[in-house]
Amino acid sequence: MLISEYIRSVARASTTSDVFNAVAEAHRREILDALISGEKAVGTIVNDLSMSQPQVSKHLRVLSEVGLVGYRAEGRRRLYYLEAARLRPLHEWLAKYERAVNDRLDRMDDYLQELQQGERQ
Amino acid sequence: MTPDRHGSAVIEFPNDLEIVTTREFDAPIELVFDVLTKPEHVRKWFAPFDCEVTVCSIDLRVGGNYHIVFVTKDGTECSFRGTYLEIDPPGRTVETWLYDGWPEAEAVETVELSEARGVTKLTMKLAFRDQAGRDHMTKFDGQEDSFDKMEDYLRSLRGKAL
Repeated sequence: MLISEYIRSVARASTTSDVFNAVAEAHRREILDALISGEKAVGTIVNDLSMSQPQVSKHLRVLSEVGLVGYRAEGRRRLYYLEAARLRPLHEWLAKYERAVNDRLDRMDDYLQELQQGERQ
Repeated sequence: MTPDRHGSAVIEFPNDLEIVTTREFDAPIELVFDVLTKPEHVRKWFAPFDCEVTVCSIDLRVGGNYHIVFVTKDGTECSFRGTYLEIDPPGRTVETWLYDGWPEAEAVETVELSEARGVTKLTMKLAFRDQAGRDHMTKFDGQEDSFDKMEDYLRSLRGKAL
Protein backbone atom coordinates (compact mmCIF):
# COMPACT_ATOMS: atom_id res chain seq x y z
CA MET A 1 0.00 0.00 0.00
CA LEU A 2 1.27 3.47 -0.85
CA ILE A 3 1.91 5.63 2.16
CA SER A 4 -0.50 8.26 0.81
CA GLU A 5 -3.26 5.65 0.62
CA TYR A 6 -2.40 4.47 4.09
CA ILE A 7 -2.63 7.98 5.51
CA ARG A 8 -5.95 8.51 3.75
CA SER A 9 -7.37 5.31 5.15
CA VAL A 10 -6.19 6.16 8.65
CA ALA A 11 -7.63 9.65 8.34
CA ARG A 12 -10.92 8.17 7.23
CA ALA A 13 -10.79 5.65 10.04
CA SER A 14 -10.40 8.38 12.62
CA THR A 15 -13.73 9.95 11.67
CA THR A 16 -15.81 6.84 11.01
CA SER A 17 -14.35 4.25 13.33
CA ASP A 18 -15.80 5.75 16.45
CA VAL A 19 -16.95 3.15 18.95
CA PHE A 20 -19.06 5.79 20.71
CA ASN A 21 -20.98 6.48 17.51
CA ALA A 22 -21.47 2.80 16.91
CA VAL A 23 -23.01 2.12 20.31
CA ALA A 24 -25.05 5.34 20.36
CA GLU A 25 -27.69 3.54 18.31
CA ALA A 26 -30.06 1.41 20.40
CA HIS A 27 -30.45 -1.34 17.79
CA ARG A 28 -26.70 -1.73 17.52
CA ARG A 29 -26.47 -2.13 21.28
CA GLU A 30 -29.16 -4.82 21.06
CA ILE A 31 -27.10 -6.65 18.45
CA LEU A 32 -24.01 -6.47 20.66
CA ASP A 33 -26.10 -7.81 23.56
CA ALA A 34 -27.30 -10.67 21.37
CA LEU A 35 -23.69 -11.63 20.66
CA ILE A 36 -22.65 -11.75 24.34
CA SER A 37 -23.80 -15.36 24.55
CA GLY A 38 -21.67 -16.40 21.56
CA GLU A 39 -21.27 -16.14 17.80
CA LYS A 40 -24.41 -16.01 15.69
CA ALA A 41 -25.46 -15.98 12.06
CA VAL A 42 -27.37 -12.97 10.69
CA GLY A 43 -30.55 -15.06 10.47
CA THR A 44 -30.36 -15.95 14.16
CA ILE A 45 -29.93 -12.30 15.15
CA VAL A 46 -32.89 -11.38 12.93
CA ASN A 47 -35.05 -13.96 14.73
CA ASP A 48 -33.85 -13.03 18.21
CA LEU A 49 -34.36 -9.29 17.85
CA SER A 50 -37.34 -8.97 15.52
CA MET A 51 -35.46 -6.62 13.23
CA SER A 52 -35.45 -6.96 9.46
CA GLN A 53 -32.54 -8.69 7.77
CA PRO A 54 -31.41 -5.55 5.85
CA GLN A 55 -31.52 -3.59 9.11
CA VAL A 56 -29.41 -6.15 10.95
CA SER A 57 -26.94 -6.37 8.07
CA LYS A 58 -26.58 -2.60 7.95
CA HIS A 59 -25.89 -2.38 11.68
CA LEU A 60 -23.48 -5.33 11.56
CA ARG A 61 -21.55 -3.52 8.84
CA VAL A 62 -21.18 -0.43 11.06
CA LEU A 63 -20.19 -2.57 14.03
CA SER A 64 -17.60 -4.49 12.07
CA GLU A 65 -16.18 -1.27 10.58
CA VAL A 66 -15.33 -0.06 14.09
CA GLY A 67 -14.11 -3.51 15.04
CA LEU A 68 -16.76 -4.25 17.67
CA VAL A 69 -17.78 -7.42 15.84
CA GLY A 70 -15.76 -9.81 13.73
CA TYR A 71 -16.98 -12.64 11.52
CA ARG A 72 -15.87 -15.96 10.12
CA ALA A 73 -17.27 -18.03 7.31
CA GLU A 74 -18.86 -21.36 8.07
CA GLY A 75 -19.99 -22.97 4.86
CA ARG A 76 -22.16 -20.35 3.17
CA ARG A 77 -22.98 -18.58 6.41
CA ARG A 78 -21.14 -15.82 8.16
CA LEU A 79 -20.94 -16.14 11.92
CA TYR A 80 -20.57 -12.85 13.77
CA TYR A 81 -18.85 -12.58 17.13
CA LEU A 82 -18.22 -9.86 19.68
CA GLU A 83 -14.81 -8.17 19.90
CA ALA A 84 -15.33 -7.04 23.48
CA ALA A 85 -11.82 -5.65 23.80
CA ARG A 86 -12.78 -2.90 21.35
CA LEU A 87 -15.21 -1.53 23.94
CA ARG A 88 -12.19 -0.28 25.85
CA PRO A 89 -12.50 3.40 24.78
CA LEU A 90 -16.00 3.38 26.29
CA HIS A 91 -14.65 1.84 29.44
CA GLU A 92 -11.88 4.39 29.67
CA TRP A 93 -14.25 7.24 29.06
CA LEU A 94 -16.63 6.01 31.73
CA ALA A 95 -13.78 5.67 34.22
CA LYS A 96 -12.78 9.27 33.51
CA TYR A 97 -16.34 10.52 33.88
CA GLU A 98 -16.69 8.61 37.12
CA ARG A 99 -13.51 10.18 38.43
CA ALA A 100 -14.76 13.67 37.51
CA VAL A 101 -18.15 13.16 39.17
CA ASN A 102 -16.56 11.47 42.15
CA ASP A 103 -14.07 14.27 42.52
CA ARG A 104 -16.79 16.90 42.79
CA LEU A 105 -18.89 14.89 45.23
CA ASP A 106 -15.79 14.05 47.27
CA ARG A 107 -15.08 17.79 47.63
CA MET A 108 -18.67 18.30 48.74
CA ASP A 109 -18.23 15.45 51.23
CA ASP A 110 -15.04 16.98 52.67
CA TYR A 111 -16.74 20.33 52.94
CA LEU A 112 -19.71 18.80 54.78
CA GLN A 113 -17.26 17.19 57.22
CA GLU A 114 -15.53 20.54 57.77
CA LEU A 115 -18.86 22.25 58.46
CA GLN A 116 -19.89 19.60 60.92
CA GLN A 117 -16.55 19.63 62.71
CA GLY A 118 -16.86 23.40 62.99
CA GLU A 119 -20.27 22.96 64.61
CA ARG A 120 -18.97 20.46 67.14
CA GLN A 121 -16.11 22.68 68.27
CA MET B 1 -11.91 8.28 62.32
CA THR B 2 -14.50 6.78 60.01
CA PRO B 3 -13.22 5.82 56.57
CA ASP B 4 -14.28 8.39 53.99
CA ARG B 5 -16.60 7.69 51.11
CA HIS B 6 -14.33 9.05 48.40
CA GLY B 7 -14.87 7.54 44.99
CA SER B 8 -18.18 5.95 45.96
CA ALA B 9 -20.51 7.74 43.54
CA VAL B 10 -22.55 5.34 41.42
CA ILE B 11 -23.27 6.53 37.89
CA GLU B 12 -25.93 4.81 35.83
CA PHE B 13 -27.30 5.24 32.33
CA PRO B 14 -30.78 3.75 32.76
CA ASN B 15 -31.84 4.64 29.21
CA ASP B 16 -30.81 6.73 26.20
CA LEU B 17 -31.79 10.05 27.74
CA GLU B 18 -30.78 9.94 31.38
CA ILE B 19 -27.76 9.89 33.63
CA VAL B 20 -28.38 9.06 37.28
CA THR B 21 -25.74 9.60 39.95
CA THR B 22 -26.14 8.47 43.56
CA ARG B 23 -23.85 9.19 46.51
CA GLU B 24 -24.14 9.02 50.29
CA PHE B 25 -22.92 11.64 52.77
CA ASP B 26 -22.43 11.40 56.52
CA ALA B 27 -24.42 14.52 57.26
CA PRO B 28 -28.02 15.45 58.06
CA ILE B 29 -30.33 16.08 55.14
CA GLU B 30 -30.87 19.78 55.97
CA LEU B 31 -27.14 20.47 55.83
CA VAL B 32 -26.68 18.59 52.56
CA PHE B 33 -29.58 20.56 51.07
CA ASP B 34 -27.98 23.85 52.14
CA VAL B 35 -24.58 22.85 50.76
CA LEU B 36 -26.24 22.07 47.41
CA THR B 37 -28.35 25.21 47.17
CA LYS B 38 -26.65 28.12 49.00
CA PRO B 39 -24.07 30.05 46.96
CA GLU B 40 -21.67 30.53 49.89
CA HIS B 41 -21.47 26.74 50.17
CA VAL B 42 -21.53 25.84 46.47
CA ARG B 43 -18.48 28.08 45.93
CA LYS B 44 -16.48 25.79 48.22
CA TRP B 45 -16.84 22.57 46.26
CA PHE B 46 -18.24 23.13 42.78
CA ALA B 47 -15.11 23.90 40.75
CA PRO B 48 -12.64 21.17 39.78
CA PHE B 49 -9.24 21.32 41.46
CA ASP B 50 -7.49 23.69 39.05
CA CYS B 51 -10.45 26.00 38.59
CA GLU B 52 -11.95 28.90 40.43
CA VAL B 53 -15.62 29.75 40.87
CA THR B 54 -16.12 33.27 39.53
CA VAL B 55 -19.92 33.50 39.42
CA CYS B 56 -22.27 31.77 41.82
CA SER B 57 -25.78 33.15 42.00
CA ILE B 58 -28.69 31.02 43.12
CA ASP B 59 -32.22 32.38 43.40
CA LEU B 60 -33.80 29.45 45.19
CA ARG B 61 -37.49 29.79 44.35
CA VAL B 62 -39.71 28.38 41.65
CA GLY B 63 -38.96 30.37 38.50
CA GLY B 64 -35.71 31.65 40.02
CA ASN B 65 -32.46 31.26 38.11
CA TYR B 66 -29.06 29.94 39.06
CA HIS B 67 -25.80 30.63 37.29
CA ILE B 68 -22.46 29.12 38.23
CA VAL B 69 -19.23 29.79 36.35
CA PHE B 70 -15.80 28.42 37.01
CA VAL B 71 -12.64 29.37 35.16
CA THR B 72 -9.84 26.95 34.38
CA LYS B 73 -6.18 27.92 34.80
CA ASP B 74 -5.94 28.55 31.04
CA GLY B 75 -8.83 31.00 31.24
CA THR B 76 -11.61 28.81 29.83
CA GLU B 77 -14.97 29.66 31.35
CA CYS B 78 -17.36 26.83 32.13
CA SER B 79 -20.81 28.21 32.72
CA PHE B 80 -23.83 26.33 34.03
CA ARG B 81 -27.27 27.87 34.32
CA GLY B 82 -30.90 27.04 34.67
CA THR B 83 -34.27 27.82 36.25
CA TYR B 84 -35.85 26.16 39.26
CA LEU B 85 -39.05 24.30 38.44
CA GLU B 86 -39.77 22.69 41.83
CA ILE B 87 -38.38 23.31 45.30
CA ASP B 88 -39.30 21.12 48.21
CA PRO B 89 -36.68 21.47 50.98
CA PRO B 90 -34.89 19.50 52.16
CA GLY B 91 -35.80 16.57 49.94
CA ARG B 92 -36.07 17.71 46.36
CA THR B 93 -35.40 20.31 43.69
CA VAL B 94 -36.07 20.16 39.95
CA GLU B 95 -34.36 22.62 37.64
CA THR B 96 -33.43 23.09 34.03
CA TRP B 97 -29.73 22.52 33.41
CA LEU B 98 -27.69 24.03 30.64
CA TYR B 99 -23.96 24.01 30.09
CA ASP B 100 -23.21 27.03 27.89
CA GLY B 101 -20.66 25.00 25.93
CA TRP B 102 -23.46 22.78 24.61
CA PRO B 103 -26.42 25.16 24.29
CA GLU B 104 -28.49 22.63 22.36
CA ALA B 105 -28.17 19.99 25.07
CA GLU B 106 -30.59 21.33 27.63
CA ALA B 107 -31.60 18.92 30.36
CA VAL B 108 -33.87 18.76 33.37
CA GLU B 109 -32.05 17.94 36.58
CA THR B 110 -33.87 16.32 39.49
CA VAL B 111 -32.05 16.31 42.82
CA GLU B 112 -33.48 14.14 45.58
CA LEU B 113 -32.23 13.67 49.13
CA SER B 114 -33.28 11.15 51.74
CA GLU B 115 -31.84 10.55 55.19
CA ALA B 116 -31.61 7.30 57.14
CA ARG B 117 -29.63 6.83 60.36
CA GLY B 118 -27.66 10.03 59.87
CA VAL B 119 -26.64 9.19 56.31
CA THR B 120 -28.06 11.31 53.50
CA LYS B 121 -28.42 9.78 50.09
CA LEU B 122 -28.20 12.13 47.10
CA THR B 123 -29.72 11.14 43.76
CA MET B 124 -29.13 13.46 40.79
CA LYS B 125 -30.89 12.68 37.57
CA LEU B 126 -30.07 14.55 34.38
CA ALA B 127 -32.71 13.95 31.72
CA PHE B 128 -31.82 15.21 28.26
CA ARG B 129 -34.39 16.24 25.69
CA ASP B 130 -32.95 13.96 23.07
CA GLN B 131 -30.21 11.44 22.74
CA ALA B 132 -27.93 13.82 20.88
CA GLY B 133 -27.95 15.95 24.02
CA ARG B 134 -27.12 13.09 26.33
CA ASP B 135 -24.42 11.89 23.98
CA HIS B 136 -22.55 15.13 24.57
CA MET B 137 -21.96 13.66 27.97
CA THR B 138 -20.67 10.45 26.47
CA LYS B 139 -18.27 12.25 24.15
CA PHE B 140 -17.11 14.96 26.45
CA ASP B 141 -15.80 17.10 23.59
CA GLY B 142 -13.71 19.99 24.90
CA GLN B 143 -13.87 18.95 28.51
CA GLU B 144 -11.70 15.95 27.81
CA ASP B 145 -8.61 18.07 28.19
CA SER B 146 -9.36 19.39 31.64
CA PHE B 147 -10.24 15.93 32.86
CA ASP B 148 -6.94 14.68 31.54
CA LYS B 149 -5.26 17.40 33.57
CA MET B 150 -7.22 16.33 36.58
CA GLU B 151 -6.18 12.76 36.03
CA ASP B 152 -2.53 13.80 35.88
CA TYR B 153 -2.91 15.82 39.04
CA LEU B 154 -4.52 12.94 40.88
CA ARG B 155 -1.69 10.72 39.75
CA SER B 156 0.89 13.23 40.98
CA LEU B 157 -0.83 13.32 44.37
CA ARG B 158 -0.76 9.57 44.59
CA GLY B 159 2.93 9.68 43.64
CA LYS B 160 3.65 11.98 46.58
CA ALA B 161 1.77 9.78 48.98
CA LEU B 162 3.91 6.78 48.11
